[in-house]
Amino acid sequence: MLQNLPLTGIRVLDFGHIVAGPFCARMLADLGADVVKVETATRRGRTGARRGGGASRTASGRTPLLAHINRNRRSIDLNLKTEEGSAIAHRLIDVADVLVENFSSGVMDRLGIGYGDVSKTNPRLVYASMSAFGHTGPRQAWTGMNVTLQAFSGMMLATGESGDPPIGISNSWNDYIGGLHTAVAIIGALAKRRASGRGCDLDVSQFECSVAMIGSLLLASTVTGVAPARVGSRSASAAPQGCYRCAGADQWCTISVQTGEQWQALLLELGAGGGSLRDPQFATLDGRMQHHDAIDAAIEAWTRERTPAEVEALLQARGVPAAAMRRGNDIAQTAEWQRILKPLGDGEQSVGLPFSFRGTAPAALTPAPRVGADSDDVVRDWLGS
Amino acid sequence: MARVLDLTSDVAAYGTRLLAELGHDVVRIEPPGGDALRREANGMFHAFLNAGKRSVVLDRDVAADRRTLLALIAQADAVVASLPLPVDEAEILGANPQLVLVEIDDGPPELCAFARSGLLAITGEPDGRPTLLGGHIPHSAIGLYVAMAAASALFAQDATGNGSIVDVSAAQCLAVLAEQVFVEYSSSGELLERLGSRGGITALAGALPCADGHWMVSVPPDPNGWANFVQVVPDPAFKDDDSLADEAERRERKHEILDRIALWSTHQKKDEIVAEAQRRHIPAAPVLNPLDLTRDEQLIARGFLREIDHPEFGRIHFPAGALANLWHEMPAPASQLGAANATILRDLSSPDGRGEPL
Repeated sequence: MLQNLPLTGIRVLDFGHIVAGPFCARMLADLGADVVKVETATRRGRTGARRGGGASRTASGRTPLLAHINRNRRSIDLNLKTEEGSAIAHRLIDVADVLVENFSSGVMDRLGIGYGDVSKTNPRLVYASMSAFGHTGPRQAWTGMNVTLQAFSGMMLATGESGDPPIGISNSWNDYIGGLHTAVAIIGALAKRRASGRGCDLDVSQFECSVAMIGSLLLASTVTGVAPARVGSRSASAAPQGCYRCAGADQWCTISVQTGEQWQALLLELGAGGGSLRDPQFATLDGRMQHHDAIDAAIEAWTRERTPAEVEALLQARGVPAAAMRRGNDIAQTAEWQRILKPLGDGEQSVGLPFSFRGTAPAALTPAPRVGADSDDVVRDWLGS
Repeated sequence: MARVLDLTSDVAAYGTRLLAELGHDVVRIEPPGGDALRREANGMFHAFLNAGKRSVVLDRDVAADRRTLLALIAQADAVVASLPLPVDEAEILGANPQLVLVEIDDGPPELCAFARSGLLAITGEPDGRPTLLGGHIPHSAIGLYVAMAAASALFAQDATGNGSIVDVSAAQCLAVLAEQVFVEYSSSGELLERLGSRGGITALAGALPCADGHWMVSVPPDPNGWANFVQVVPDPAFKDDDSLADEAERRERKHEILDRIALWSTHQKKDEIVAEAQRRHIPAAPVLNPLDLTRDEQLIARGFLREIDHPEFGRIHFPAGALANLWHEMPAPASQLGAANATILRDLSSPDGRGEPL
């Protein structure tokens, strides 16, 4: 058993802003790392954007979502454009194990803290930059945001049905995916450092992270010369599978029939409504794939008379996988949400990691600091003065 | 680097690919006939997700194969497995007390887990049917957390000599990614909803039609963002309306403004608009499909897509992967079923059991 969380003792400097960089640093904190956020009260970032909880402010002075994203770290207020701020930043970087930043390509170099500058005095540093497209290539100078990367990375035309306009997901999805890849890369780089004694420059392209999520579809396109069909919520290995309209305004329940046994159980539940579906041609997965539209119509005639909760309960009781579509007001009741919500220490709850090390206590969650709340503390702790 | 035995289902196979991308020796244990990935979409998921891994066939219903598996476990650093485990947990840990054992609860089917998490409610057209993210993107997201769990436990094992058991819940992975749905509701009582082509974060963001497809724009919320934007879209109604410099006002009139931009862009070419917007530091992008991406000059220039001689497909551009590319590595093509059986069994009888010099 582990005595401590895996990254205990690892010092991380978070030069991140908005979601991607700070989210990456948060996961490192949840794995035990000591995270210090370098920021300045004079540059408040793009706080006008709505990222959860609108533009209201929490005790940390941050919007609700950014308060959640920036939990579990200390904050030092350093203006990197002043000589004093820059000098302290260099001293902190010299004793750090990891640096995370998600500025546009070139910004850290202009501040004099690019990898080339700081690796001279701290060759053991794992330096993770998370630009939109990476620091090389014809689009290195291009700017990117969550939605533009959702569009660029193929996700919006891999989602939805044939003929639909591009379809995205209305959260900061890309920032999370970039943050996750970068956190895994940092852990990998720390492991390599233990063997080699040297850190490295991780030139992460958030664009590549999102493209990698559908690497199989790129390969299929390369091999066949055509873009893969957009199949909505259907599956190649389960049928019927779909999101069905239920009673009430904009109410939905998902159903996914994985086996012939589940198909028979679904027919039992549909009763008379499933009459036309008892044809033996629907007994096989291939048969159900071929007649998916007709099957969907029969299922929806049944679900439209019932609430999502009723559909879910009736089908689950028969062993047919079904789940009502939850919204913000009812997700927290599910078992998975109950397990990931942890007290934040200020009366609120926040989201922890979706995995746990058996026998090792998870990191206690601590609220985001105000900008510069820990400046003296960090200097004393990391620099001894 | 570590040796990892991969007993994951399709739900977490991206996770073990990422471990291979980090340089670990990943050995995928498959049943006779191969795993389900080999059969999906003519093997394309297998070819991408199992790249960089070796393949060993063992039948968990055959006692001799279970003994071989335990012998492999005894020599491995980690086992990453979807539940149920092929042999009892106690037997696995008995064979190797220092093991990193990652146990994955695959949870309900992808679509159902997506619906429960809160993510389905924010994906799809506002007046249409909510929809799953395509290409098994939710599975890839689960794989990322599996890789994080395994890589961090291996890091700790290397430092302390201690293994660990890590419990991963696929359903929880998706729930974590719906954090904004939770925060929005708990802090303001509002529900995030699906917006289709339009972004939900900045006031003015959306995929809009153009003459040759769609382009995506996100107007930065700061005042400069709008000032730069009106240089790109030459609509007098925008230039003359000073109130639009305010992000709150733009949010209020979001759909009206986006509709008006679309009237203009529908006659433009996407690459030309996007280049002009980028010149003025406006985040804009063409909306691409997976086929477009196979010719993307940035992916090719950085080596994410690299020409290789693939044993199955011939000379093609193959996706190296976002992590492999950080180290300029290219994972080996996915193995033929059971290609590593002979080597692995020979290694088991070597002095260290791994075929490496002691």
